[in-house]
Amino acid sequence: MSIALVTPTWVENLWQQKSVQQSAWLAAQQTQAYAAFQRRGLPLRREEYWKYTDVGFLQSADFVATEAITKINALPVLPGSETSRLVILNGQYAANLSDVSGLPDGVIVTNIETALSSHADLVQAELSNTNDIKRFPFASLNLALLQTGAFIYVPKGTIVKPVIHILVIGGMQKQAAVNLRHLIIAGENADVSVCEEYRSVAAENDFTNVVTQIHAQENARVHCYKIQHEKIGSTHIAHTLIQQQKQSYVKTVNLSVGSRLTREDIQVNLDEDGSECDINGYFALSHDTQHADHHIQIDHRARHTTSDMTYKGVLDKKTHGVFNGMVYVHPDAQKTRSHQANHNLLLSKEAAIDTKPELEIYADDVKCAHGDTVGQLNLESLFFLRARGIDKAEALKMLTEAFAADVLDKVEHESVLLRMKQVLSEARL
Amino acid sequence: MLSIRNLHVTIQDEKLQTKTILRGVNLDVNPGEVHAIMGPNGSGKSTLSNVFAGREDYTITQGDITLDGVSLLDLAPEERARKGMFLAFQYPVEIPGVNNMYFLKAALNSLRKSRGLEPLDAMDCIQLIKSKIKEVGLDESFLHRAVNEGFSGGEKKRNEVLQMLILEPKVAILDETDSGLDIDALQMVAQGVNSLRSPERSFIVVTHYQRLLNYIVPDFVHVMLNGQIVKSGGKDLALELEEKGYGWLEGQASV
Repeated sequence: MSIALVTPTWVENLWQQKSVQQSAWLAAQQTQAYAAFQRRGLPLRREEYWKYTDVGFLQSADFVATEAITKINALPVLPGSETSRLVILNGQYAANLSDVSGLPDGVIVTNIETALSSHADLVQAELSNTNDIKRFPFASLNLALLQTGAFIYVPKGTIVKPVIHILVIGGMQKQAAVNLRHLIIAGENADVSVCEEYRSVAAENDFTNVVTQIHAQENARVHCYKIQHEKIGSTHIAHTLIQQQKQSYVKTVNLSVGSRLTREDIQVNLDEDGSECDINGYFALSHDTQHADHHIQIDHRARHTTSDMTYKGVLDKKTHGVFNGMVYVHPDAQKTRSHQANHNLLLSKEAAIDTKPELEIYADDVKCAHGDTVGQLNLESLFFLRARGIDKAEALKMLTEAFAADVLDKVEHESVLLRMKQVLSEARL
Repeated sequence: MLSIRNLHVTIQDEKLQTKTILRGVNLDVNPGEVHAIMGPNGSGKSTLSNVFAGREDYTITQGDITLDGVSLLDLAPEERARKGMFLAFQYPVEIPGVNNMYFLKAALNSLRKSRGLEPLDAMDCIQLIKSKIKEVGLDESFLHRAVNEGFSGGEKKRNEVLQMLILEPKVAILDETDSGLDIDALQMVAQGVNSLRSPERSFIVVTHYQRLLNYIVPDFVHVMLNGQIVKSGGKDLALELEEKGYGWLEGQASV
């Protein structure tokens, strides 16, 4: 069956208005990516991957190109002194607000445009990693319309102590479309921690489409945190691709409270023996018909690989959550160990969650477990706290915080944890 | 101080049938008094305790509960607590993820706030809590665990008494705090209550057993049957009940 695909007008406009690429290599990649997106079109609800998330409104949206903005009243840096930051303002790299001094020798933290000329080989190697267009149409769109993003390279054996804060501030221009790509490469035995944060100044019904590529080479350790608290009018689409080599370790903790619609796709490839990942998330939805969809897939492709996945959600009002966690054990991935859990708390009668844990195993010597739950707040606990004089709002906060605790406990950096708690308390969940 | 007038209470059971539990309870508790309420299972003792504290599962069809002349019925559980009501739960709940110390601090400071007092800072709070935990015979390590999580029955009850010692209520209701306790724990609970006894503070001790009343000597003993107080007397009534059971009082309810 053939369907007449119409590329959304705003996408065509953005493509035509796009400034000329300095890198001929990238320009060629973008032309390919754009053509691929045109052939693919926006995902439809009849596709299994998009069954519970309707992005149909993007067809008739009217997003526009971003204008340069270089000033902001207050810069919300991470608490604590031990951080360095790269700031993106309204879709453009803000050199004047970024501070990446004080990092060890050989570490590169810059924007992706600069890296394309100064470290062309490294960037090209990662960007050529062609994604599955069927599953990730927005990643192709992202490459076609790429504006900026962080480039982080940590050379062999180097340990970076401060958290590198990628601070993305939007909500500064009505209907702004922002396409960002971050590359994080941790060389052999390197150790680095990154925190992506997405926030808005005001509700401007903007669109953020971000791709984060993490490449952990042999025995590298990467912590990648993400905090998404954009204002409620925005649409946030994100794809994180994690590639892991021998004995590498990657941990992610995602906190998602913002946006009217959020879609997070995380794909982890445990490509080589002994690699290990710990993928965590907490989403708290408290605005009307807010919608958040988390799709996680972990592919065990080699022996002795380990994965842990813990996602928790709290949903109030008429909000809707989607969780799809897939662990795929390939035939060669003997001695795989994996654990997957998704627990959800519904605070209202009209909130809903569609959760689907999946496990596909093609090796015969593995240990895998998974479990999902959907429940309500324990009313006994609520009464108990209130009977001790704690008011209802405070008691609810204590109980939802307690529910979030085992995800937040995964955060190993105090400055990130403080920001997450602050964001949660502002979200009143 | 605390006054219950003609209290009628119903509850909806699982089959959505309305069941009447209390059928006209009258009780007056003056400052400094200790009242014991005894009675067999299903007589309405625990319902009365929970209605005091403001549990929402019950419907009050008639009557009133007042504290210092002000009706409690329209007040939320936390507002009652701030007026000085305290219920020691028959089955204290476990709250995974909520640290016991954090909980005690939050409760204490919210009561202080409602009384117009400055919140205690972290150090003063810890000092106060640590001094009180010794009195109930719990190790300090219990402060760093989640509220009641994995506590034994006795430890949970001691934790209830700890909360009572810290919050210093005006009226404390102990709902079968003695059931399931060994003699050491029982004495500890009694000691906790006795140390708080004062001319301004009152207690309502709900129990099945006369045993507790050897340690907490009541001023009045009431017998509850079929949702009514059918007999009231002094502390000797408890001994009489221990000897004769409740059978001889059947039929005394004035329906």
